[in-house]
Amino acid sequence: MRQKSAIIFTILAMLAFASIPTVGEASDFSVGTTLENFSLPDTAGKTHSFNDLKGKNGAVIVFLSAQCPVVKAYNERVNQIAADYAAKGITFIGINSNATESGETVKSHAAENYKFPVLIDKGNVFADKLGATVTPEVYYFDAKNVLKYHGAIDNDRSGKAITDNYLRTAFDSSLSGKAIEKTRANAFGCSIKRAEK
Amino acid sequence: MIDASLQWTKAAVTGWLLVLILSFAASAQRPVSPALPLSKKALTFPAVVVKLVDEIAFKKLIVPNGKPLLINFWATWCDPCREEFPDLVKLDAEYKGKINFITVSLDDPEDILTTVPKFLASMKAEMPAYLLKTADESAVITSVSKDWQGGMPFTILLSAEGETAHFRQGKINPETVRNEINKLLVRQVPTEK
Repeated sequence: MRQKSAIIFTILAMLAFASIPTVGEASDFSVGTTLENFSLPDTAGKTHSFNDLKGKNGAVIVFLSAQCPVVKAYNERVNQIAADYAAKGITFIGINSNATESGETVKSHAAENYKFPVLIDKGNVFADKLGATVTPEVYYFDAKNVLKYHGAIDNDRSGKAITDNYLRTAFDSSLSGKAIEKTRANAFGCSIKRAEK
Repeated sequence: MIDASLQWTKAAVTGWLLVLILSFAASAQRPVSPALPLSKKALTFPAVVVKLVDEIAFKKLIVPNGKPLLINFWATWCDPCREEFPDLVKLDAEYKGKINFITVSLDDPEDILTTVPKFLASMKAEMPAYLLKTADESAVITSVSKDWQGGMPFTILLSAEGETAHFRQGKINPETVRNEINKLLVRQVPTEK
């Protein structure tokens, strides 16, 4: 009896220690991966496909939030980058995957703040596919839908002391046919509030 | 002259009455706690001091020192960070002495003497509090966990040996954290010979 209990205890202990740490939203969508075309509705309910919105030199998907203060701090910069590179054939597509933000909130926030379309990712299906977890978080795809850069827009949330413009640098390298030196960078932001499944 | 004196007396009486009424109202709202006099209570929750750390100091901070180490990254501007704080304070009280628990704020360094300690004091948070100032957030985030992309709140539990036992981006589930801490503590108990 005692031996049996010891075996059960050992098995349970082994299972406990072998448990994998809680992962946010694991995805292997890394730089170099090709994105399949997808469609999502905008804030007015009209469906758009990625390939239709993409510019001749690619597109940036930027995960946004109507409530995140970090996103708010970046709004002006994002619009400026979008304007600067629209002429160079790179377009911006905003995506809101936050389950906690109502359609009306997202709609009014998008209308007030962005000059590019914002699509609604209901149930955060698309965020899960890419493994996006933060706002703001950008994914830059080239003309062939290959992911070239993923992560932060620059290295200073406040915008007061930017020393590394990750996204602009990635664009410039890519447009001039050079390899992108920094393909991945993280920054502190808000977690994407996922739907309970 | 008499009128002025009368008016002054009236004002004084009204003032005292107001003070008395307000005192009664305040004492009625105060939770009854006969165990600790007010002065002792104040000592129980001393003024919160938030220490500013750079990347170098931060790297030393996230190395466990003989006990499991729980680290919570948060900011006053982050709603879920604030929402989960009462649970963190409970965990701290529950495991005091058994684990080390620190909080790292990602607020603007300008807030180190204002909103950050004010919030921590309002939460009655006693865990050592730090505010990280860095020019390379990406490097800091990667040094904490390769699976963290920077979303907050972020909580990570390290074993005494420095292995990641559990992490969570977003609000914690206190029960899950409790279980993970308990597993580490069981592992630490020396076996009887």
